[in-house]
Amino acid sequence: MTPLSEVSLVTWREVRKSFRSAKGAALAVISILGGGAMSMTFAWLDRLRREQAANIALAQSSTGIDPHRAQVELFSRWYGQPNMGTALADCPYALWMMLVATLWLAPLLVALMTFDAVSAELQRGTVRFWAVRARRSSYLLGKALGAWLAVLAVSLAMNVIVWITAATVGHQSGFYIVGWGLRFFAVVVPVTAAWCSIAVLVGSQLKTPMVSLLTLCATFFAFWVLHIAAAMTKNGWLNWAYPSAYDALFLSPDPGDIGRGLLGIGVIIGLSIGAAIFAFDRRDL
Amino acid sequence: MSPASVSRAFESAVRARRLTKRFGATLAVDDLTFEVGAGSVFGLIGPNGAGKSTTFSMLAGYLQPTYGSVEILGWAPTAVDALRCRVGVLPQDAVLPTTDRVGEFLVHMARLQGTSKNKARESAERALDDVSGRDWWNERCGHLSHGMAKRVVLAQAFLGNPDVLLLDEPTAGLDPRVAWEVRQSILAKKGRSTIIVSSHNLNELEEVCDAAAIIDRGRLVATGSMAELTATHEEIRVKVASAGPNEAPIGPTRLAALRALGDIKTVDLDEDRLEIVVRFDRSRTDAETVIARVLRLLLDEQVRISGVTKGRGLEKRVMEIT
Repeated sequence: MTPLSEVSLVTWREVRKSFRSAKGAALAVISILGGGAMSMTFAWLDRLRREQAANIALAQSSTGIDPHRAQVELFSRWYGQPNMGTALADCPYALWMMLVATLWLAPLLVALMTFDAVSAELQRGTVRFWAVRARRSSYLLGKALGAWLAVLAVSLAMNVIVWITAATVGHQSGFYIVGWGLRFFAVVVPVTAAWCSIAVLVGSQLKTPMVSLLTLCATFFAFWVLHIAAAMTKNGWLNWAYPSAYDALFLSPDPGDIGRGLLGIGVIIGLSIGAAIFAFDRRDL
Repeated sequence: MSPASVSRAFESAVRARRLTKRFGATLAVDDLTFEVGAGSVFGLIGPNGAGKSTTFSMLAGYLQPTYGSVEILGWAPTAVDALRCRVGVLPQDAVLPTTDRVGEFLVHMARLQGTSKNKARESAERALDDVSGRDWWNERCGHLSHGMAKRVVLAQAFLGNPDVLLLDEPTAGLDPRVAWEVRQSILAKKGRSTIIVSSHNLNELEEVCDAAAIIDRGRLVATGSMAELTATHEEIRVKVASAGPNEAPIGPTRLAALRALGDIKTVDLDEDRLEIVVRFDRSRTDAETVIARVLRLLLDEQVRISGVTKGRGLEKRVMEIT
C-alpha cells in the first residue's frame, strides 16, 4: 500500500469524524450562525457605505471627492501597496470584510477544530490501532489534511452565506459576487493550510487535549504578537512567519507576489509538518 | 533471504534481544531476551508493574526501546509496510473511536491493511463473526459495553488472519462468560498464528500458552515451555485428607515407602497444603507412570486422596519466583 493511499484513507476518515463528533457539529453550527450574523452585519455596513457614497457623490461636484478614488486609496493604504488599491477597488466590500474577518479568525477556528485531532487519540490510545497499519508520517499527514479540509468546509460555508446575502441585498450580480468570493476564498485556502500544519505540529506533541488547546492558543497568540511587532517596528520580514499576513501577496495582481506567497506558506507548512513527522516518528505512543 | 535465514524465521516468529526501556530514572524493562516459536502461544507473565505492558508495547512498536531490539517475522515492529496484514495487535487500554460505527471502523482498519474496498467489508464481517459480534455492525463504538468493545478490539486484531497476534490483557475486566468466549476465540487461532498474550490471569495463561516468560521488576526471571515452568514432567502433587482431627494425613513410614518406589528423587509432605510432593527422574519415567504407582501404594495404605496434579501449577511457580 502506498503512503498516498494511507494518507487518503486517514484524511477522509478525519473529515467524517470532524463533522460527526459533538464538538465538530457544534463548531460547524456556531460557524454557520456566525457567518450568518457576520453577513447581516456586512450587508448593513455595505448599505451604510453606499448611502455615504451617494452623499459623497452629491457633494462631489462641490468638493471634488471621487468615491472610486477613495476606495482605491483605502485598499492601497490597508495593504501598503499602491497597485492593491486598483486591483481591489471594484470588489464587493462585504466580501472583502469577510475575508479580513476569516483571516483574523482562522487561527481560532483552526485551534478549535484541530486541538484534539491527534492529542485525544494519543490520550485514549486510539492511535495504536493506526500505528500497526499506517506509517506514522501518513497518519500525521492524513490528520493535517483532514483537519484542513474540515476547516475549509466550515470557512466555505460561512463565506457562501455572505455571498448569498451580498447577492440578495446588494446591487451586483450573483456571478460577480461568486467570482470575487472565490478569489477571496482562494486566499483562505493556503493560509488555513499553514495554520493547520502549525496546529498539527503542536497538537501531536501533547497527550492532553485541553493542554493542546491552551498551548495552541498561546502559540497562535505569540504569532499574532510577532505580527503586531512586525507592524510596529517596521520589520516586515517578521510578517513572513504570520500566515494570515500573506493575504496581500495572494491578492496582488503581480504573479510574482503570488509565487512569493506560495513559497512562504510552503516553507511554513514544510517546516511544521516536517518537524511534526520527525518528532512523531520518534515518540512513544 | 537465504534458506538458513528462512528456516530461522520459521523457527522464531518473534525475537527480543537485550530489550531495555527506561522512563527517565525508572528502569521499566531491563535486558530482556527471549524468542517465540512460530505457531506457538507465548505468555508474558508478571505482577503489576513488572514491565509486561512496556515489553508488549515495544513488541508492538508503540514504544521505542532505550536499548536492544525486537524482530517480528524478521522485521522491526515499526516496519509497517513489511508487516502489513501480518501482525494483529490488541492493545490493553486503547479506546475505540467513539463516533465510528463498529463496521465502519473495522472496514477502515481492513482497508489500511491493504484490503480492497470490496473485500474489506467481507474481512471485517468475518473478524466480527470470530468474536460473535456480527449484530454490532451498526452500533457506535462509544455505545458498546466494556465486554463488547473488548471483542471489537479483538476483531480488529484478527482482521486478515495475521501471522502474529499480540494480545495485551485480552480478558481483563470481562465477566467470566465473556472471558471464556474471548479465550475460545484465541484458542481457535492457536496453531494458525503465533500468539503472544500478556495477562495477570495465570490460570488462563496456563490453559492457552505453550511457553512463557516470567518478568519481575523489569527483569526476566524465568522462561521456557509451560511444562518446564510448571515442572509437569518432573513432579506430581497428591492432595490428601487427614484421617481425623489432629491426625497426620500420612506418616513417615508411608513417605519412606513412596521414596522406595523406583525412579523417585524426593518425596516431601507440604503440611500446610496437605500435599505430597513427588519429584521423579524424567529421563527414566513419565508423570502418568509415577501417578499410577504412587496412587496404588497410597490406596493400598488406605490414605484418603483429594486430588492429583502434574507439576506445581503456574500460579505456584510465579509466586515462588516473583
